[in-house]
This record gives sequence, C-alpha cells and structure tokens, in this order.
Amino acid sequence: MRPLDAVVDVKRAPPRRDVPMPERCEIAIIGGGVMGLGIAYQLAKRGLTDVVVLERGYLAEGASGRNGGGVRMQWSTETNVRLMQQSIALCAGFAEEFGINVWFRQGGYLFLGRSEEERRKMERNVELQNRCGVPTKLIAPDDARDLVPELSLDGVVCAAYNPKDGVLFPWPFLWGYAQKAEAAGVRVQLYTDVKRIDVEKAGFQLHTNRGQLHARRVINAAGAWSPEVARLVGVELPNRPHRHEILSTEPLKPFLKPMVSLLSSGLYFSQSMRGEIVTGITVPDHDDGTVKLGSRLRFLTTLAKELVRVAPRLADVKILRQWAGPYDVSPDGRPILGEPAGVPGFFLACGFVGHGFMMAPVMAKLYAELLTDGEKHPVFDECRLDRFASGDIQREDMILG
Amino acid sequence: MSVTLRFEGKEISAEAGQPLAVALFVAGERVLSRSVKYHRPRGMFCLTGHCGACLMRVDGRPNQKACQVPCVDGLVAERQNAFPSAAFDVLGITDFVFARGLDHNTMFTSPQILHSVVQKVVRHLAGLGTLPDEASRYGTPEVRHLDAIVVGAGPAGLAAATALGRAGRRTLVVDEQLRPGGSYFAEPSDGAAQAARAVTTAEDAGVELWSRATALGWYPEDTAPGRAPGVLVVGRPDRLAILTADRYIYATGGYDQNLLFGDNDRPGVLPARAAGRLLSRDVLVGERPILVGQGAYVEALANALTERGAKVERVDGHEKRLVAARGRSWLAGSWVAGAELNVAGQRQRVSGDAVLVWCEPTPASELPRQHGAAVELRPEAGGFVALADEHGRAAPSVWVCGDVTGYLGPASAALAGKRVGEAAA
Amino acid sequence: MKILVCRCEDVTLEEITHVLDRGFVSVEECKRLTGLGTGPCQGKECMLACALLCHAAGGGAHPITPFTARPPLSPTPLGALATALTTSLTTEDDE
Repeated sequence: MRPLDAVVDVKRAPPRRDVPMPERCEIAIIGGGVMGLGIAYQLAKRGLTDVVVLERGYLAEGASGRNGGGVRMQWSTETNVRLMQQSIALCAGFAEEFGINVWFRQGGYLFLGRSEEERRKMERNVELQNRCGVPTKLIAPDDARDLVPELSLDGVVCAAYNPKDGVLFPWPFLWGYAQKAEAAGVRVQLYTDVKRIDVEKAGFQLHTNRGQLHARRVINAAGAWSPEVARLVGVELPNRPHRHEILSTEPLKPFLKPMVSLLSSGLYFSQSMRGEIVTGITVPDHDDGTVKLGSRLRFLTTLAKELVRVAPRLADVKILRQWAGPYDVSPDGRPILGEPAGVPGFFLACGFVGHGFMMAPVMAKLYAELLTDGEKHPVFDECRLDRFASGDIQREDMILG
Repeated sequence: MSVTLRFEGKEISAEAGQPLAVALFVAGERVLSRSVKYHRPRGMFCLTGHCGACLMRVDGRPNQKACQVPCVDGLVAERQNAFPSAAFDVLGITDFVFARGLDHNTMFTSPQILHSVVQKVVRHLAGLGTLPDEASRYGTPEVRHLDAIVVGAGPAGLAAATALGRAGRRTLVVDEQLRPGGSYFAEPSDGAAQAARAVTTAEDAGVELWSRATALGWYPEDTAPGRAPGVLVVGRPDRLAILTADRYIYATGGYDQNLLFGDNDRPGVLPARAAGRLLSRDVLVGERPILVGQGAYVEALANALTERGAKVERVDGHEKRLVAARGRSWLAGSWVAGAELNVAGQRQRVSGDAVLVWCEPTPASELPRQHGAAVELRPEAGGFVALADEHGRAAPSVWVCGDVTGYLGPASAALAGKRVGEAAA
Repeated sequence: MKILVCRCEDVTLEEITHVLDRGFVSVEECKRLTGLGTGPCQGKECMLACALLCHAAGGGAHPITPFTARPPLSPTPLGALATALTTSLTTEDDE
C-alpha cells in the first residue's frame, strides 16, 4: 500500500516552474527575496506594475528564508537607526495590510557587554539612538537578569535594552509581498536563473534558463549572489558572501522575552512564536568568495559553549535542526545602493550584511519612490558604490551572528 | 524485574528496561500527549523514536521520546501541552471548532487590537513542554578512529559488520535503539531470538556494538586531529562521540509511514511493524485489531496475532479500503474503536481496538545523503532510495545496504548486508 | 474529520492540497507554506507522503527531491555539545 491510497484529487494551476515567461517589461528585479519582492510590491502600489521578479529558486530559498527574524533599532550609525525606526513601524502594520500573520513580537533586544571598551561603545551608541528618539536604556547587569532570569552574568559589565525591538517570522513577508504584487499585475518567475545580460542603449536583454526578457531598467536584489549578477553587466562589487550558521531548538512554552545578544562573540538568541530558541554565533570561516550553505559541527560546539555559559539553564534544551544562510557583507557594513557609474538603469540593492531582512520594508518603499517620482532619500548618496574608492565611509559596527 | 514509575500522581509497575510508552500502554494509559495546533489526542506510533508522537516530560525534561526511555525505578513521567490533563484537555475544543482546519497564516490579521490579543494568546498556546527543571552534566566527547563504522544494527548492518569483522577489520556498529537488532524486532514470530542470534554472530566476529547511540550527522568540513576531513557525530545518553573510519556503511533501514485517511492520527492507529515490536516485548496490541494491507509481512503478522488469540479484521486495501479511523469524541480523548471502510463502493463500519496499517517503510536516507550518496524517488520501494553500484558503494568510502536502498525485508536485507560488508572489507 | 499529513505540526491534507493547487508542487515549497516537516521528527513521518502528493499534482515533470538533510538527525541537548573542546576539531582556518 502507498500512503496516497486515500482519495486525492488535486486540480492544479501550472507548476510554478512552468509559468510562462514574458518577453518585455519596464523593470526586471533579479532576486525574489524580501528586498526584490518588497520593491516589486511598493512599485505596484505606486502604479508601476510592468515589473518581473526573477528568482533562481523557490520562494524563501535565499537569505530571506534562512534568517532568525530579528528586527532592531539599535545601531551605531544614524542612518541605520532612523531607517530601522521606519521599518519597524511598517513591520508592526504588516499583518493588517497584507492579511498574513508575521508573528511580530516587540519583546526588545538586550545587548550584554563583557569589557570596558564594549561599555564605551555601548554608551556612545545608546546616546546616538536616544538622540534619534529610540528609547534604548543602559541598564545594570542585575537589571538584565530581571528581564531574563536564566542569565548568568559571568563576565558581564554592561547592558543596553530597547523594548521596541523585536522578532518576527520571515517567510510570510515573502508570500504577502508576492501575493499583493501578483494581484496587481507583477509577474513573479520562480526557478528562473539569469545567465547573461546584454547592456543595450534603451535597456537590458536578460538571458535566463527559461527564455529571454527585455527590461528598460534592472534592479540587482540578489543578496549574496549580487556580485555574480553585477559581473553580468561588467560591474565589480566589493561585497562578499559570508556563511552564517543558525539553529533552532525544540519548541517550549514561552519564557524568553527579549532577543539577547553579545557583540563580543556575535551570539544572539531569542524565542520564536512557536516556542523554539533560534540562535546563532560568529564562527571563523574560510572566505573563498563562494556562497557556502553547509553545516559544521564546529558551529554547534562554539554556539553551545557560549550559550550555555550565558544561560546555563538551557543545557538540556535540545537542538532540532541547524542550517546556514549567507550574509551579503559590504566592506563598511552598510548597503550598496544606486546606479554604478557607466551602467545607467542598473540599480543596486545589496550589501545589507545581516540586516537586509529588517531593512527591506523601508528600503523597498524608498527605492520605489526613487524609481517612480524620482524622490531620492539621502541614503542613496551615502551608500553609493563609489564611496569605497573615494574613502568616504562610515562603519557600522553593531553586527551580530 | 519489576520497577515503579510515577505517572501524574499514580504509581505504575513496569518491567525494568521496558520502553516507557509500552509500559504505559500495558497499564492502560494510552493518550500520551496533545498535538500543537488542534490539541488532538496522540498516542504512540512507530515505537522506534522516529515519529514524534509519544513526546512526554520525563524526570523534568521535556519532549522525551517515551518509546526510547527505558523504565527504571523512580522514573517520573508527565504529559505535556494539555489543560487540565491530556485525558481531558479543554483546548481540544479547537479541533472541534475548526473542523475544516485553521489557517494560522491568515487568521485574525485585523483589526489591530484583535490581532495583538490573538498574537499574545497564540504565543502562550505554542510550545511543547516547559524548560527543563535542571541542567544536566555531560561528558566530553570521545574521539575515535575505526577501520569501519556501520550505522544500524538491524539485519543488514549486523551482517555487514560480521563480514567486516571476519575479514579482520576493526569495526564498530552504532545503533540508536534500546536493544540491537533493528527490524528483526518487528518480525511477528521469533523476532527477539533472530535479533539475538545476529548480534551474537557479530560479536563473535569481533565487532564492537553500541546501543542507544544515534548517528546525528556527517560533517564534511570538520576534521578530527590527524585525520582526513569529515567526522561522524554520534549521540549517546550522556555525551557525544566524534568518529572517523576508513569505511562507512549505512544500514539505516526505513521509517514507518502512516496512510492518509480520516483521523489517521488517532491513538490506536499504528504501523503494522509497531504491532510486531509489541509482540517482541510480549505485548498484544489488541484483541480485535484491524489490519490494513497485503504482502508477506501482513500475512505473518495476521498469523502471529491470531495465534495469540486476537481476532484480526483484514482490510486488503483494494476490494476493502480504509476510509477513516473511528472512536469517541475528542473531548473524551480516546483510543480507536473501529474503522470506516469502503467495500466495493459501499460504506461499512467495523469495530476494532487497533488499526494497523502497512506500507513499505521509507528509506532512512538522510545520513547517506549527507555523506554523498544520491537518492531517487521509487514509491514502490518505499520512497527516496539510496543509490549504489553493484558492490553497494554509494560514494568514496561510503556503502549502503538493506532497506535504505529500498524495502527488502529482514532476510534479503541480511543477505545484502553480508555482500556489501564483504565488498567493503 | 481531518486527514493528517504532518502529525508533528498538525498539517492536514486539505492544507497541502491548497498549496499544490496554487502551483507550488515541490516538497520545499510545501514545507515553507505549511510548516510540514519542521517539527520534532523533521519529516521522517511525512516527507514521503508530501513528495508523492507533489508528484500526483504534476510536480513529477521535474525531479522530485527531498528536503535538505540537516543535522542533528535526532534532537540533541546543547549541553552535550558545550563540553566539546573545539581544539579537538579543526577546520581549514586553523592551519
């Protein structure tokens, strides 16, 4: 007997892999992650629906489907702080706007520091955040334990807490953006890989594994694969993919309110709506420029050692699964936006490191504004590609994972 | 030898070493948990630690597989995820109210106030079990290198290991079950004796054997000191082992599957092989079991159950088809009481105290895949079978044999294991 | 009356059918859209049924593949890993 011997009558739309490819469009977006789909949605919202999103795999196959869902306003650069204030507001309204639950919970982010240097950085960053209107507070280590009773304060000298930061579940964002965009006329092509791009006078001819597409403008939202895509139009990008591993545990009844993080080791851990602890840590990796998604024992041992040191009560909590996702790492920790010199009409939306997901809601909106009514937020100038050559850079240093 | 367990305020006698789930079954405790979303009552299912049906809180630790916990004196067992109790869980109303299902993705997304309240409620309903009471101490991992490692002490694995041992290879077999013998224990007659013979033969060939040792993963990028890259990590009750070998033989067998029919998750719906495993523990699954399926295993099981005095209702899956399991309403949280069948187009109800379903176990091919083996979907052989050449070689230094290459059954699996063990030596 | 495909996460046949009807006929897509296979058994009991359903729904025109086999193959306590001396394992970086 086979499991399917029960009655199964499946009537179907064509498999997504076989949805016909259009021949022309106004804007082609390469990359169907949260950034690409978010931009497509926002464009459609502004009436620009002649858009095709080209995703190489299935929805959520890239970093958008692999991250821990953390969303925070605690950053060390003013641009990031202000952008994230807006993004978090958008996250909070997502379920109502899209009719899809994203399980956004504002339990806060608690950062712990173990050295005087970290304390100084923390003080400086909190002051910046407060100036922008973010309610982060410096708190004593003992107060951190009030927030998270399971903490051991071994080596902890300082802490900062913003109650308005939070966690969400990333996958439904993609469905929400994709569904609304498609309903408005945007086409989302899955399993479609762009192999070659001919740069022409009035646009771009994209050659994919499923046919050709002519687009007047192209957006490179391919995350860790964005350097590969940029090379197709002769542009060399300085961002490189870094593997970040992550794991989730058995689901437990809720006990952990904030996301907890230590910048010194890159550890972060939080409890999802399903009750699992989702956690990651920085582990040195050999950087050969390729996107690596394999799992290592070394990640588990490094993470377990640090997590059990920080929260000893978790020793008997069981790991269910480990996986990995790519951070698209730019040299200064800030995104790469705008048109590169010499290729007008080709737009970059990449280099978001480990905060691409959380920035996508606001970035998508800003990009759509730029592409429809030409309104240009200052971030596009601050984050242009040629800043690396001119040396005009400001480093973001509150990076986790 | 008899031991005493504490189960939710009651004292229960059990045989020492008996799996907790079986001891509770014998004592009449058949509902072991409630499901995450609909709070449907659940009981044991595969009895091999592969299905997630029998998760309980044991000695203050959540989500323990009750079929993998051996009974010892003083063991404390509790059910999870139910209020006030798993026998009568008020949240079971969810299953009744949302009879057609509840799409958690789109429910209650607006208005904002309702959405916020529902989010809070959902968070408190989520999760299986609470934080462990204590933090145990674990030993440091053992690091070892062998000539050959065999994963799985079932018919194929023991035969392969025996061949390797006889060829003079230093061989370790790791097996996750409480006792070695794998699918021999599902054999309806004589299962335990067949297992014991195969184990003795392997040990006589000089093979080392670990039970309660679960192969957790092959990690190609990690390196044990002085070895080529790649380690096999094995979990044992209080510590890990990090192993390397010149040869890896995966004889991981297959996972029992369920069929798709109405209320197929009811306590009392079990894979046919689980009834065989109960027989190997001298336990009869029911007096009036309904046995669904055809083939050699089903015939042997029907005979063995009948010999034990059971009245077996046969459902062949063609002329007579299984439509649904039947029983009392969920609020009373109960074991199956019969089945609804389709007999030549007509609905027919039969009563029974177990529904045993047979289909080919699905190859447990995760480890071979992690270690470089290719798989192919072959439904008639159980699922994604691990592919190998005529010597059983699936990848450099990797061999596969037995049910993981497609369901064979113990006799053929043992022959395949012997051939592959000889080839790998 | 429900027909359960994924027991761990309470995913019904109706939910899977709904996903397949929208053209998402791969095991990975079913997993993402319903949560099938993400619970304690990580698909041991349900992935095959899902693969067969995808095949029946027209997904068989392209090879049906299982989900990525990730470790650990059984739930493993953090504490057992925390005692590992990371120096007993090396990776290329340590050379």
